[in-house]
Amino acid sequence: MGESGSKQSLDENLKAPCVAACPVHTDNRRLTEYVAHGRYEDALELTLSVNPFSSVCGRICSHACEQECRRNNVEKPLSLRMLKRFIVDNTRDYRLARRGKIKKTAGTKGKKVAVVGAGPSGMTAAHDLAKDGFSVTVFERAEKPGGMLSYAIPKYRLPYDIVREDVDDILALGVELKTGFDVGKDVTFDQLKKDHDAVLIAGGLFDSRTLALPGMDADGVILAMPFLREAAEGGTPVLGKKVVVIGGGNVAVDVARTAKRLGAEEVTMICLEGEDEMPAWDWEIQETVEEGIRISNSWGPTEVRTDGGRVTGIDFKECTCVFDDTGRFNPQYDESNTCSFDADNVIVSIGQQADISCVEGSKVKIAGGTRFEYDRATLATSEPGVFASGEIAVGPGAAIEAVAEGRRAAQAIAHWLDKGDVASIPGTDMPHVGELPERVAEKVIKRDRTEVEFADPVERLTNFEVIEPCFTEKEARQEAARCMSCTLGAVVDEEKCAVCLTCVRVCPFDVAKIEKKAVMPADECQACGLCAAECPAVAIKLERWGVHEMKNRIAGKLERLGGKPDKFLLGFGCLFQAETRDALQNDPAAVKSDGIVRISVPCTARLTVSDLLAPFELGAGGVTVIACEGDSCQYPIALDRIERRVKEAGGFLEAIGVGADKIQLMKTNGPAETEWPKILSEAREKLG
Amino acid sequence: MIIADQKPVAEIKGFIEGKKKVLIAGCGTCVTVCLAGGETEVKNVASALRIAFKNDGKDVEILEDTVERQCDDEFVEPLLARVKNEGFDAVVTLACGVGCNFLSTRIGPVQVFPGVNTSFLGSNEAQGDYLELCAGCGECILHLTGGICPMARCSKQIMNGPCGGTSDGKCEISQDIDCGWYLIVKRMQELDILGQYDEIQAARDWSKGTHGGPRRLTKETAAMAAEDDAAKES
Amino acid sequence: MAELLSGSNLERVLAAGKFAVTAELGPPMDCNGEVVREKAKILKGNADAFNITDNQTAVVRMSSIASAFIILQEGLEPVMQMTTRDRNRLAIQADILGACALGCKNCLCIAGDHQSFGGAGRLKGHPGAKNVYDIDTIQLISALKGMRDDGVQQGGDPIDKRPPLFIGCAWTPMGDPIEIRPTRLKKKVDAGADFIQTQGVYDVEAFKEQMKIVVDMGLHERTAILAGIIVPRNFGMLKYMNNFVSGVSVPKELMDRMKAAMKAGGDDKKQKRINQEEEAGKITVELIQQCREIPGIKGVHLQAIEWEKKIPEIVEKAGLLPRPTFD
Ligand SMILES: Cc1cc2nc3c(=O)[nH]c(=O)nc-3n(C[C@H](O)[C@H](O)[C@H](O)COP(=O)(O)OP(=O)(O)OC[C@H]3O[C@@H](n4cnc5c(N)ncnc54)[C@H](O)[C@@H]3O)c2cc1C
Ligand code: SF4
Ligand code: SF4
Repeated sequence: MGESGSKQSLDENLKAPCVAACPVHTDNRRLTEYVAHGRYEDALELTLSVNPFSSVCGRICSHACEQECRRNNVEKPLSLRMLKRFIVDNTRDYRLARRGKIKKTAGTKGKKVAVVGAGPSGMTAAHDLAKDGFSVTVFERAEKPGGMLSYAIPKYRLPYDIVREDVDDILALGVELKTGFDVGKDVTFDQLKKDHDAVLIAGGLFDSRTLALPGMDADGVILAMPFLREAAEGGTPVLGKKVVVIGGGNVAVDVARTAKRLGAEEVTMICLEGEDEMPAWDWEIQETVEEGIRISNSWGPTEVRTDGGRVTGIDFKECTCVFDDTGRFNPQYDESNTCSFDADNVIVSIGQQADISCVEGSKVKIAGGTRFEYDRATLATSEPGVFASGEIAVGPGAAIEAVAEGRRAAQAIAHWLDKGDVASIPGTDMPHVGELPERVAEKVIKRDRTEVEFADPVERLTNFEVIEPCFTEKEARQEAARCMSCTLGAVVDEEKCAVCLTCVRVCPFDVAKIEKKAVMPADECQACGLCAAECPAVAIKLERWGVHEMKNRIAGKLERLGGKPDKFLLGFGCLFQAETRDALQNDPAAVKSDGIVRISVPCTARLTVSDLLAPFELGAGGVTVIACEGDSCQYPIALDRIERRVKEAGGFLEAIGVGADKIQLMKTNGPAETEWPKILSEAREKLG
Repeated sequence: MIIADQKPVAEIKGFIEGKKKVLIAGCGTCVTVCLAGGETEVKNVASALRIAFKNDGKDVEILEDTVERQCDDEFVEPLLARVKNEGFDAVVTLACGVGCNFLSTRIGPVQVFPGVNTSFLGSNEAQGDYLELCAGCGECILHLTGGICPMARCSKQIMNGPCGGTSDGKCEISQDIDCGWYLIVKRMQELDILGQYDEIQAARDWSKGTHGGPRRLTKETAAMAAEDDAAKES
Repeated sequence: MAELLSGSNLERVLAAGKFAVTAELGPPMDCNGEVVREKAKILKGNADAFNITDNQTAVVRMSSIASAFIILQEGLEPVMQMTTRDRNRLAIQADILGACALGCKNCLCIAGDHQSFGGAGRLKGHPGAKNVYDIDTIQLISALKGMRDDGVQQGGDPIDKRPPLFIGCAWTPMGDPIEIRPTRLKKKVDAGADFIQTQGVYDVEAFKEQMKIVVDMGLHERTAILAGIIVPRNFGMLKYMNNFVSGVSVPKELMDRMKAAMKAGGDDKKQKRINQEEEAGKITVELIQQCREIPGIKGVHLQAIEWEKKIPEIVEKAGLLPRPTFD
């Protein structure tokens, strides 16, 4: 794991754990920031900039980011995957229009790359290489692109049109896709190599691993991959009443749930691992149990019972231990403890393996079994110009890992094509801050993770419809607000810091301290901005959610609105009160008629006294600050601070004859949609 | 440090009425720390003045600048140069009175106005809470009083206190002001040196304070020889 | 009888071992000397010496020196009060020399109420004034003693004709921190205080206890302690003193008595006043008698603020008349 500990200010290398954990390092903090600001399109651009499979990841990503999110130290992690889904689901029109504008950069460089396999790894590499100007052709055995995304992951989790969204963006770059094209059969590898300057093998793990048990050749014994493939293609593999699935991983889970949807009455998953050791994700297991699938742990299969060439059941012995002391797979059994299950079908889902038939007869050296010689650092095989990535190279993992490896492969190939040699491509490890110190965590206001309600378990078993609804806009915004801005907090300009201790005294999280000058350790700061708003030396800036240059911002906004209405009323509101981004917008026509201009900020307590006075300099007749009432505010003491600042600004206004009553603080729990218009029009009326 | 309090902006406005281009000058040291005259306060005052003149329909340019300290030539020089080069016709300094004096004696024919009331030498007791602790009397007598100053903290600067006005540890002039002598006595008790209290303290020699005329202090051992100083300057 | 320091009437009374009585006479806020003379006439013969306050409660009044001179002319003996608030050491010494030249023989050294008092809120006063406090009370006592006994000004210059002064000061026996009060009295005595007038006493028991300490320290032998008695004109005044005057606490029993007197007047305002004034007289007389019995007490100092005409009645009822005379 990366290093942890406190750093004086933002260190580029010291990332939030969510960013570091993501194999493509999606900057989730910016993502949540954009969502809060209603900048969904910018959020989409951000995620697409590092992850061409953003739509897919919004649905099925195993989200290492969430596992590492420091909200875990407070209550529960941010629902980052769901936010991503919200972003892509809510920017479809924009994305379509954007696709039309994507430049066909492929082929501008004049070198040709062949990619074997249109899974996430191959397609990502194709994407990056095409962006780089190389001419790329992807050869795919199946009829549709997407690899496992299209052929293994069940539709109730990932419909094909979602995969297609991502793929179409990639193809828009001018990537050529040849489907129904089996490399090794339709063209020899040597020929392919001859026709291209470089080849990337990204064939994934196409085959299922099987078991050597008596009775395996009986009718009714099925392997996971062909089973899922058939289901994905819309086929309905015929199943009996009772189905036993052997395996405890995510694939086995998908197999069991698919079997149930295909009409099997009784589905039982049986695996070697104990309950806590199962490789499938917790949430997958939970959904499985919800769907009435039984899970039986710590059993190793011994024999498939048959009758007349048909499966009738399967016997097991107890597995006492799966891994040895060194953590290697080395199951131990208690032969005396056995059990037996009746079954019409046995589906074997104990892992996948590569189909490396494509390189047969070529000079690509095989390392044994279904693997070829491959260097993880350079992604090169034994044959110059031939590279590999994704699961075929590194073994099973998550789709986003295949994406990340695809990006590395693109770099490796670009280097090869540009420089003529292989280079070591940096891995995906990234230094990051450690856990949120308890001292700080206990001061962070707790906010429940926003959960969505899945389709009813009984209902959902009748079809392959998506079972998980997307966040509503309100939910997404509420969830985005939970992000703690890890490592994007306050940064001190040491030249300006007067060491006055104001930050130390006002920081509600006990974060700011003095080390010769003021320091807000990046791994502790909550970016609430209270210190910055109070600093008498203007020495503190916020990396995220700063409201610097407010006067210019207001001026800019007024200009965009087509000039300022006479004696306009400026309403400062808190972003987090808006359930929709519409509430954050100013309608120029409305502004013209009612003279109310809104500026939304992430917590009004970030506004300085001069921010509050600025509108008056720009011709405002009044200012209304709408703060969050009581504990609806994100930050402790924020309300008190903004109250004091409004009072101070009022004092100035009184002294110069404008009147303290021209600025007022209003409190509400929102939502902005209904409360702001009420508050602001009342204020407008008072102003006259 | 020096504690100051911002002057009402209406008063400041009165000072510069009729001027065309005014610089609001902050100081990055004491007055920044006591939230009276740092860059932030400069912004606020400048903004308020701009609004005020705008509302009056007057075209007055109000600009801002803040330097590290307004009591040292090296820090003040760029400020003076700016005033000259950019043609300001007045300066409002939010530095303490020292800064205002310092600028006034160096700036030439441009008037420097005080933007703060320089209040006292004191401590920062808590955010926004300042307490006078030293009177700058020129001859420290804290060794006689348990480290608590009767010059700064006794309303009557009594050397042999407390007077009859103490009640519940507070001074006769306000329930919000601690009786300095009450604190002294309690401190002496804590230190077990109350015996010292028996001694009558003689009348003070005030000449060490402002009563002896304006003060100047030269630390011979630190000062530069006149010729060295001149050499450095040329 | 030992040689007298000043030969003042007050000093003589005390030297003769008689129970001394002093009373306060507040000068007016204008230049009407007649007011002083009027008060003098009422008070004459009812006390051994009369304190002329010095800008009491930080309100400008006719100067204590001038007023003292007026009552001298009326045949009364003044105790000129001198605050350290309004004059620096030059002014004080100059005024002392002048006062002595005019015949004053007693001086009471006090710090004076802080200028922020402004007549305890009833008047404007001069809260914006610059106070002086060049020297404090104890330093003032030393200075006067030096002038009288050593013939030197505070700065060291010689004095040919030394001012014959009976030097007094105030003492707040129950002030905060109470444990320091006897020591502070000792400092005053060490500095040269010949007589002491205490802050008004209502809580006789507490006063007794402080006096016991003072007696144990032998201070009562070295100075003459006069118990301060403030005539409590009405219930409101008692309440005010209890709540706002430092070092004064009024026992509940006294408060209740005064309250009962007030209540007895019913709705009749005038009757209420008469009742309270009567009760005030009684309480004062009792206080005098109680204080008189406290070991170490050599007399009383009566303050009937702006109610001087009540003094003769009280002194009479307390059995303190006639006052001794000397020739
Ligand atoms: C059932 C199942 C569920 C999963 N669920 C999740 C999940 O919820 N979340 C998650 O993050 N990951 C999940 N994964 C893993 C994820 O799908 C894979 O990690 C990812 O698809 C691997 O990508 P890849 O590009 O390496 O290979 P693949 O996706 O396998 O793509 C390889 C492609 O190469 C093609 N190919 C192979 N050989 C040839 C050839 N000779 N000629 C032409 N084409 C060829 C194949 O047809 C295939 O389309 C799941 C996988 C499975 C099997
Ligand atoms: S709180 Fe925000 S920045 Fe921190 S780890 Fe979680 S998602 Fe990332
Ligand atoms: S006040 Fe807020 S922004 Fe400043 S250090 Fe503390 S948590 Fe960070």
